[in-house]
Amino acid sequence: MSKKKITVDFRFRDKLNKVQGGKHHNYCYQCSACVAVCPAARFTKNFNPRIILLKALLGMEEELIGENSAIWLCTNCYSCYERCPQDVRPIEVIISLKNMAVERRTAPPNLTKLSENIGKTGVSVTVTSAVRRMRQELGLPELKDIPIEELQTILGEQEPQIFQEEEKNDK
Amino acid sequence: MGEKKKVVPFWGCMMPLKYPQMELAIRRTLPNIGIEIVDVDGFTCCPDPIYFKARDKMKWLTIAARNLAVAEEIGLDVITMCSGCISTLKEAQYLLDEDPKLKDEINKKLKKIDKEYKGTVSVKHAVVMIRDELGIDVVKKSLKKSLEGIKVGIHYGCHLLKPSQIMHVDDADYPNILEDLVMAIGATPVYQKESLLCCGKGCMDADIPLEMTEAIFVAIEESGADCMGLICPTCFSSFDLGQLMIARKKGKTFNIPVIYIFQLLGLAQGLTAEEVGLHKHRIKADKVLEKIV
Repeated sequence: MSKKKITVDFRFRDKLNKVQGGKHHNYCYQCSACVAVCPAARFTKNFNPRIILLKALLGMEEELIGENSAIWLCTNCYSCYERCPQDVRPIEVIISLKNMAVERRTAPPNLTKLSENIGKTGVSVTVTSAVRRMRQELGLPELKDIPIEELQTILGEQEPQIFQEEEKNDK
Repeated sequence: MGEKKKVVPFWGCMMPLKYPQMELAIRRTLPNIGIEIVDVDGFTCCPDPIYFKARDKMKWLTIAARNLAVAEEIGLDVITMCSGCISTLKEAQYLLDEDPKLKDEINKKLKKIDKEYKGTVSVKHAVVMIRDELGIDVVKKSLKKSLEGIKVGIHYGCHLLKPSQIMHVDDADYPNILEDLVMAIGATPVYQKESLLCCGKGCMDADIPLEMTEAIFVAIEESGADCMGLICPTCFSSFDLGQLMIARKKGKTFNIPVIYIFQLLGLAQGLTAEEVGLHKHRIKADKVLEKIV
């Protein structure tokens, strides 16, 4: 019987342990309950939450947070969190890995576009004049001011202030 | 009806800024069932539990804790109408209450703006508040029109229910909260076998989300439903506009109207399609409207 040498990168696991929610990866005993309920796994062979957890246990940094990682195929549905008998909260481990990928600048470029509004304007959706008109037409109240300075104070940094009123948000 | 229950709405972003017709339906229907909406200043995006959380969980938690702190200062119960908002606010509460060290760390950041998360505020999804605090019968008492015979294929989506240890809404595998509400409204809920399937919006892939949406509409079609009844604005974008995308990319036409449950309630309360904003949807609900007497 041939023996294949397996190495574990504990330094990566330590880093993951320090990200909020990352520590729970240690509890995984590879039972696959998460796979059975995972919608992404149902629709693509490229995503399997058990394999992601296995790679986390082995500390496979490149596979997990390098370019084109499968973690971005997670649908964020929380079915794995619901089902996991070990309180691994697989989706939360995956989100912790996403945070690490963002820090390494290997996240898909689309993520920036989808998440940057909040730090700049306090809301996730771009406020367009079309939506203001639509609100008026429906007889809805004016939009409230968003306390963006407070937000930037607690986030501890000044995000670039580019307030884009108009964008191609509504087709 | 006696004294109304005062609640603070946490509108979030999707409803006021993308689908104001849903906000309209809420504003028109809740007062009829004994709820007074008290708008307040100071909220921001919840923030969104998918992309912003993927970017930085600690910032996500900090902003959520600030929103909760704003709500605590007001002292009224908070309702959300969006599955994403309730997911963020409930999970943030859970994490902060579960881990005192984390709570201290976040509160240090909030101190810079003289705020503190204490853990005293009640945040619920509107449907949960109606069921648990007012009782589903208040809905029946508000009806003016009959929706009898209208078959509604219910779609739960994900974040209203899961994880149940945080959301405290229903059995995540065999829920009935929305069926009960649709029955109270006077319509007929029909089972569709993909009612718990994710709409796919959070998956960062070009094809998979569309395949999920398609599977859901195949199930709705099989169920014989006249329309889909849903609760989540993100699902709504996958399903209303999504049907047009499926038609364009896959050549499959379903043409099934997608109706937010509070729009359905509005119709049963005697409001017109325009008064609940149904004319803003891509898939028109004419066939459903014809059945209302």
